[in-house]
Amino acid sequence: MQLANEFRDAYSIASGPDLAAVLTPIATSNDPDRLRSFYQYTNIQYLTKDLQSNLFHGKNLKVPKAEQSAWVDIFAAYWEAVGEVLKCEGQHPGASATAIFTAWKKVANALIKGYAGSNGLPAWTLPCLYTVGKFLRTFAIKADLEVAAQGSSGFGFQDDLAVDVEKNANLEEAARIINRMFTLCLSDRAPIEESRKWGIYETTNLLFKTYFKINSVGLTKNLLRAINAQSHELPPLDAFPKSHVVTFEYYLGVIHFLDEHYTQAEEHLTTAWRMCHRDAYKNRELILTYLIPCHLVTTHTLPSNQLLAPFPRLEQLFRPLSNCIRKGDLVGFDQAMSAGEAEFVKRRIYLPLERGRDIALRNLFRKVFIAGGFEEPKDGQPPIRRTRVPVAEFAAALRIGTHATSRTRVDIDEVECLLANLIYKGLMKGYIARERGMVVLSKNNTAFPGTGV
Amino acid sequence: MNSSVPPWRATASAPTSTPVAFQPSATPAYIPVQARRSLPTHKTTYPPSTGSSSTQPTMPPVAEAPRPRMEFPPAVRLYVQRCFAPENQVASVSHPEMQEKLRQVITDAAENNKLHIIDWERLALPQVMIQNERNRVLANPNVSNWGMSGQTPSPSDASRKRKSTESSQQQQSGQDSPPWKKANNRNRFEDRVTHPSTGKKSRMTLDDSSKSKANLEMRRKRFEGAGVSYGTSGTSSPVDSPSSRSVDQDQGPVVGRCQTLEKNYFRLTSAPNPDTVRPLPVLQKALDLLKKKWKQEGNYTYICDQFKSLRQDLTVQHIRNEFTVVVYEIHARIALEKGDLGEYNQCQTQLRVLYQQKLGGHPTEFKAYRILYFIYTRNWTAMNDALADVTAEDKKTSAVKHALDVRSALALGNYHRFFQLYLDTPNMGAYLMDMFVDRERLTALASICRAYKPDVNIRFITEELGFESDEQTARFILDHSAEDTLEEKNGTVRLLTGKAGSLFEQAKAEAHRVVDIKGQI
Repeated sequence: MQLANEFRDAYSIASGPDLAAVLTPIATSNDPDRLRSFYQYTNIQYLTKDLQSNLFHGKNLKVPKAEQSAWVDIFAAYWEAVGEVLKCEGQHPGASATAIFTAWKKVANALIKGYAGSNGLPAWTLPCLYTVGKFLRTFAIKADLEVAAQGSSGFGFQDDLAVDVEKNANLEEAARIINRMFTLCLSDRAPIEESRKWGIYETTNLLFKTYFKINSVGLTKNLLRAINAQSHELPPLDAFPKSHVVTFEYYLGVIHFLDEHYTQAEEHLTTAWRMCHRDAYKNRELILTYLIPCHLVTTHTLPSNQLLAPFPRLEQLFRPLSNCIRKGDLVGFDQAMSAGEAEFVKRRIYLPLERGRDIALRNLFRKVFIAGGFEEPKDGQPPIRRTRVPVAEFAAALRIGTHATSRTRVDIDEVECLLANLIYKGLMKGYIARERGMVVLSKNNTAFPGTGV
Repeated sequence: MNSSVPPWRATASAPTSTPVAFQPSATPAYIPVQARRSLPTHKTTYPPSTGSSSTQPTMPPVAEAPRPRMEFPPAVRLYVQRCFAPENQVASVSHPEMQEKLRQVITDAAENNKLHIIDWERLALPQVMIQNERNRVLANPNVSNWGMSGQTPSPSDASRKRKSTESSQQQQSGQDSPPWKKANNRNRFEDRVTHPSTGKKSRMTLDDSSKSKANLEMRRKRFEGAGVSYGTSGTSSPVDSPSSRSVDQDQGPVVGRCQTLEKNYFRLTSAPNPDTVRPLPVLQKALDLLKKKWKQEGNYTYICDQFKSLRQDLTVQHIRNEFTVVVYEIHARIALEKGDLGEYNQCQTQLRVLYQQKLGGHPTEFKAYRILYFIYTRNWTAMNDALADVTAEDKKTSAVKHALDVRSALALGNYHRFFQLYLDTPNMGAYLMDMFVDRERLTALASICRAYKPDVNIRFITEELGFESDEQTARFILDHSAEDTLEEKNGTVRLLTGKAGSLFEQAKAEAHRVVDIKGQI
């Protein structure tokens, strides 16, 4: 039994990743027949016995009894799950994604059970938990798709129809099981060197991912609360593997992002961005997708060409918008927003990007200010810009690019409203003297803070 | 480790007993094992496949259903496969019937060049279509009358704020000597509180055996799922044990026999009793009656209760058609008018699902409400979802366009535009906007105070912020700031922006605390 050899090899050097690879329910390119040969090695009657003799005999493996029987249970469940996977691959009658998920749940449960108690599986085997959890999620998603395709008619005793709830039934169940993995890691009281606490962020990441998928972002808060409550017993974040931390920081950032807490979001996303592996292209792209809108909101800065250059998709997403903002082109901005709307909404970045309009507006009004030129120079003093600008001039600027027919009359009250907003948000310094139809801007190069005039 | 009981088994439930998040703490850690029982046992002993077996038993029927010689996209093929899958068969629909319907669906699609447009993955299977049609035709012969009944009120309505259509609509035709008159005085709020003794009071309640052990068991099962339901809908369903779900499915929908028009809402604690469930024709009459009563009496407590029982009867009978949509729409509108956001939100959630099934109704009207509702609750995550739901087609309708404009005006702080939109709100959106208009007035005033110096004419604020009169404006300002912020100068009342600024800033912060979903009335 090739699989048993791999198991013993991994076990003898106590390699978690190797062990996890054994529990992976897919064939590898080295060994395309790996699942089938394992499945055909035994049958349901001899399953336990075969596993018992193969997994632990041969090499001088010293595995405690309790652990042995845990592994036998795990691999027995795994064997059944592999059977379902093979059935699906061979398109047998009765094969279904739901059956795979059901079988894989048993693997997960057997594994979780294996960790329980003081004689449970050692902490170095945690990668198994990650792998099993990861596939639990994948299989659940497939099962949900299958159920959705078949249409459902279950109502239960609810007062209402609530079909929506069922859509992710399997994934929700997966989430509950992964949540137990999370608890398993968080609540381990073993000394930190051999504690399952080292698995806390990776299981959290898996749960985050799942909650995002089932549109229950709110539940992530519970996990964060649980982690915070234990924080004094956890090693510092930077002691964990970087791969765990990057993902965790990324999700923290996105969670804050969705709550419109852009400052915190920026902080976490920046950490993720700094730590992210240089070659993790997809991840870097994901981080930037949220980090760029964050920056726009918090610091009013736009992404440089250099930053976007390696990411053509992001370039396409953000470039037209940034150009319009930079130029103060409101019409172009609105067009770019509606052109990209579907994509922005899908990625949940529409709302912060929309705020870029303020910056575009600021840039436009800044041009009005600059076009106003300078006051009459007074004997030898350095020239001062004209700081009293009629509202009508700003109105004229807003009319640029609009069709003469559609918006010939720009409502002066609305112009004032836009000005008031910029002033309120600190993008412009000065005040409106309504009776005189004038905007009085601040002197000494502070009329538009941070822009040099 | 050498004891006969493995230690990890003996203490198995210990580590998981720490209740984190949604794990029901009372149950042991192994819920999923239960799920396994429902699987047919032969599956687990399935013999290993022989490598060469590439037979696809579901394929043959594919050839006979659609016409030959056509190139069908893979999605269609999968759809056809699903039609014939044994687990999708419906007992009441025979094979030939289903095939005929399938043929019809596919030929229609092919003839209208929709083969690549239709979302085959989501399209209902022909057997389901047949069932639905039967439901509709059998139980609801005058279905076409219902399409019209929920029409949006005409924009010529005198007042800016609309009454719900139901109350402004013409009285339905005569239903005299109503049998409900006698029962009417009992249908008060107290009846909705379901303590055991009141159960007997109502004709509708289930018989006493409902307290039996079996029922208690069912009840317990039902609540097992409660701690773990996701999302905001809050409905608990026995999702975590497929076995109990399949039981429900086997039972199928209830067919009601009750002929009484009115019925108090009573939360089900066991399988519904057909004697207390009203069939569709009765429900339709009941709705007429309710609309009339709402118009005449306007007793919201009573109406809400009646609508809840109406919805319940629809649900237990699996009635999901235009009438269902009408019921939910009317209830939603009435709840809106009364500011019962809890009930409104329930209806809205259900309507969203119903609209996805394209059963008619007024999807854009309610999409617009939904957006306004999320503006009020400041639920940005849900707002993102709502925006994702809006199609280009929707945006052309005035209601959706209005709601989107409102949202964008607020996002950009454009109060000028916002209050213009407020004064011109289609349908019943004004009821929702009233919920947050004061909050936005405070926001606007905070801006205005910062931007204008030294003061502004109160007339200007009246016009900009959609007040009805200068008096109302002054009252609002005084309510949220201090007396000395207003000053009379040259015959006009002026707001001293310097003084008022920080006060409005405070009031704004106060008003913008996140709104919780309101409890029901």
